[in-house]
Amino acid sequence: MKDRLFRDILPRVAKPARYTGSELNMIKKDWEQAGVKMAFAFPDVYEVGMSHVGGKILYGLVNEKSRHLLERVFAPWPDMEAIMRAEQIALFSLESFHPVLDFEVLGFSLQYELSITNVLNMLDLAGIPLWSRERNEAHPLLIAGGPVVFNPEPFADFFDIFIIGDGEEVLLEFLDEMEASRGLGKAEKLKRLAAIEGVYAPALYSVEYKEDGTLKSFEPKFPGVPARVRKRVVKDLDQAYYPDKPLVPYMEITHDRAVLEVMRGCQRGCRFCHAGIVYRPVRERSLEMLENQARRQLQNTGYEEISLASLSSLDYSGIDPLLKSLVGNYGEKGIGVSLPSLRVDAFSIDLANEVQKVRKTTLTLAPEAGTQRLRDVINKNVSEEQLLEAVEAAFKSGWLSLKLYFMIGLPGETEEDLEGITEILQKVKYIGDKYSRRPVELRASLASFVPKAHTPFQWRVQNSIAELEGKRQFLSRRRKKRIKLSFHDSRTSYLEGTIARGDRRLSPVIYLAWRKGCKFDAWSEYFNFDWWWEAFQESAVDPEFYTGRQRPYEEEFPWDFIDIGVSKDFLREEDQKAEEGLTTADCRQEGCSDCGICLSMEISLDIKGGSAHAIEKQI
Amino acid sequence: MRLRSRYSVGPELKFLGNLDMMHLMERSLRRAAIPYALSEGFNPHIKLSMGTVLPVGLWGENEYFDLELAQTMDLLDFRQKLSAVLPSYLQLKECQEIADTAPSLMKIINAASYVYLLEPPFPSLDKWKEELLARSSLTVRSRGKKKGLDKELRTGIYRIEVDESLNIGRVEIWVAVGEPVNVRYDELGELLLQTGFTQNSIAEVFRSGNYIREGSGYLSPLEVL
Repeated sequence: MKDRLFRDILPRVAKPARYTGSELNMIKKDWEQAGVKMAFAFPDVYEVGMSHVGGKILYGLVNEKSRHLLERVFAPWPDMEAIMRAEQIALFSLESFHPVLDFEVLGFSLQYELSITNVLNMLDLAGIPLWSRERNEAHPLLIAGGPVVFNPEPFADFFDIFIIGDGEEVLLEFLDEMEASRGLGKAEKLKRLAAIEGVYAPALYSVEYKEDGTLKSFEPKFPGVPARVRKRVVKDLDQAYYPDKPLVPYMEITHDRAVLEVMRGCQRGCRFCHAGIVYRPVRERSLEMLENQARRQLQNTGYEEISLASLSSLDYSGIDPLLKSLVGNYGEKGIGVSLPSLRVDAFSIDLANEVQKVRKTTLTLAPEAGTQRLRDVINKNVSEEQLLEAVEAAFKSGWLSLKLYFMIGLPGETEEDLEGITEILQKVKYIGDKYSRRPVELRASLASFVPKAHTPFQWRVQNSIAELEGKRQFLSRRRKKRIKLSFHDSRTSYLEGTIARGDRRLSPVIYLAWRKGCKFDAWSEYFNFDWWWEAFQESAVDPEFYTGRQRPYEEEFPWDFIDIGVSKDFLREEDQKAEEGLTTADCRQEGCSDCGICLSMEISLDIKGGSAHAIEKQI
Repeated sequence: MRLRSRYSVGPELKFLGNLDMMHLMERSLRRAAIPYALSEGFNPHIKLSMGTVLPVGLWGENEYFDLELAQTMDLLDFRQKLSAVLPSYLQLKECQEIADTAPSLMKIINAASYVYLLEPPFPSLDKWKEELLARSSLTVRSRGKKKGLDKELRTGIYRIEVDESLNIGRVEIWVAVGEPVNVRYDELGELLLQTGFTQNSIAEVFRSGNYIREGSGYLSPLEVL
């Protein structure tokens, strides 16, 4: 296989290094000696998949810490796919070039709703039946994890198992059980696996819908199968596995650098934010651990840059000493530190200046909404004053370009809020021009708000495509010189929203869309809304049911059985507070907001710098 | 202190682009904790300069890079430290100190040799060579700067060696690099196809060397020092 690939296939495709494997720090275990053989599949192209930190964690965890084996698979780019189909080359792994069909477990990482069409395409390329019911114990067991599976229902008919929560907490236990239940029939195997906390086997549940289309019942079919599936949580990040020798690709990938995960979770409580709820509570790594990880990763990779990853890295309690130590230890060797996102305040700008002493290119801030009223509704606790202070500090210290993130289509949004975005941009531009010698460049990215399952806005109506388009035009007409506006595709957001709060009746739609040719939906050059639209019509499924309806508080949701630790009552109260324009403070600063996570997961906030209120409340 | 090194790139790495190869080398230097010198300016980078670009799809037996160090280092020590962290497909063969004033690899390399490994069926190699060198003009479609136009290769083809044994054919061609004629490996490939070879018969292509051509002699970049 490898010889054929190198000689006949790869010279004909773009970026052949996507398919060669053999990267630095690759782990190739002995196929015959290994326990369970699992393929880890990322449903996007190599350079995107290789940038994903979760995949690096699981890769190292399984291969270094167990007798099982984990090999990588990515979605081939369409040029490679065409050759594979024409010449009947089945999807293969990058370590041993085994066909995916030879593995016992095939696990997909689902980071984005629309990547599901790539999952189906990869299964098809692997020669694996797409529907769970068409596969038996001789096929690889198809599993998935990642943020998307906190509502797994739209994909329930394709997958055998979903793993809910922090994957490194459960994967080895899962693979051990896979090995122990070898030889059993598929149904029996699923029952044994479903007994592991955090493991959901959709075939073991029956679902009924009411006449109005909402959920009637969701029940286990067999005794012993849990009625609710609780997410798994790493309680102490310092004890959790993190790779010291991550793979270093030969070709340039999207995030081509060493990564420190400074913390997991975020407690700012922005009401639109899915990750902010499902990854609660905040767990920090200790400064000492991070310094050691940085040293070992840089030694083993030779990377020229190290980045701090998390939902809100500048909220890490040890951020100041950490940055000073990284810059102090590695700056002279030409190794840079990068901060993916900044908090909107002057303190953050100081830190950004600290790490970017020389080259000040673009700084990114996220005010999210145009008026104080709307920022209160979404609980983005940033005032205009803080924003303008941050902007002033940035331009004063020499930054020349600024990128601002906003959302349109937020609950209760009015023309005034959209005007507010325009006004903020003008004020920022004015400040920039005042402090900078040359005209500054401003870019505003306008994402469409998509209500997600398990968030305070899960009951809300999503803007229609027409509404979002109207808002786009409204803003575009008011655009000023040297302010660049970029909008997310409203049709993509609409589909994302449909799946995000979807149920099992969406599986046929997804299947049909794929049959029509949908794949790489996250890539604008491949996204084809018409095919999706036809798929909905032919399956007689109305997407408006999922996005266009204000859902009553008493409605049972298809994802309610996933226990994320945050209570539905808390989410409802947050939604009600949004309606009244009331904010909720970050519990690290102003006391517990009773979201339920610490009690239900029997953990406490793990803030290394300490948090008086959090500790007090625990006692 | 400035060093010139010779290394080989194995077939596993033949799909790397030039930038990929630069990154691989820079990251290896960091892993080995070599005391490299950094450039001044906004975006400091390692003072590393690679020889002529190894085209994507080819591996190379004798490639070169120059590196400036911030402090002196024993050559053996350098070789051992760097070799310890290089991927096994990339091997450091030789290192020498060069003068600070020595001209760069890009400036001095003016010839290269490419090897085509052949599987049957292919024409008689001796006869093919004789006929080819007897021709006064060899034109192919340019793959370089003047894409699509006819390009005259004859003056840039210096020497050809052929060998046939155990059904495997080997053609090695020494060509001009840089100005005034730059002969690319894919243009040579087209020449082979024009003169009786098929795509299927070309099993492997690699660059066997980079040279400084003086008269009819070929010196390696380490021999001109």
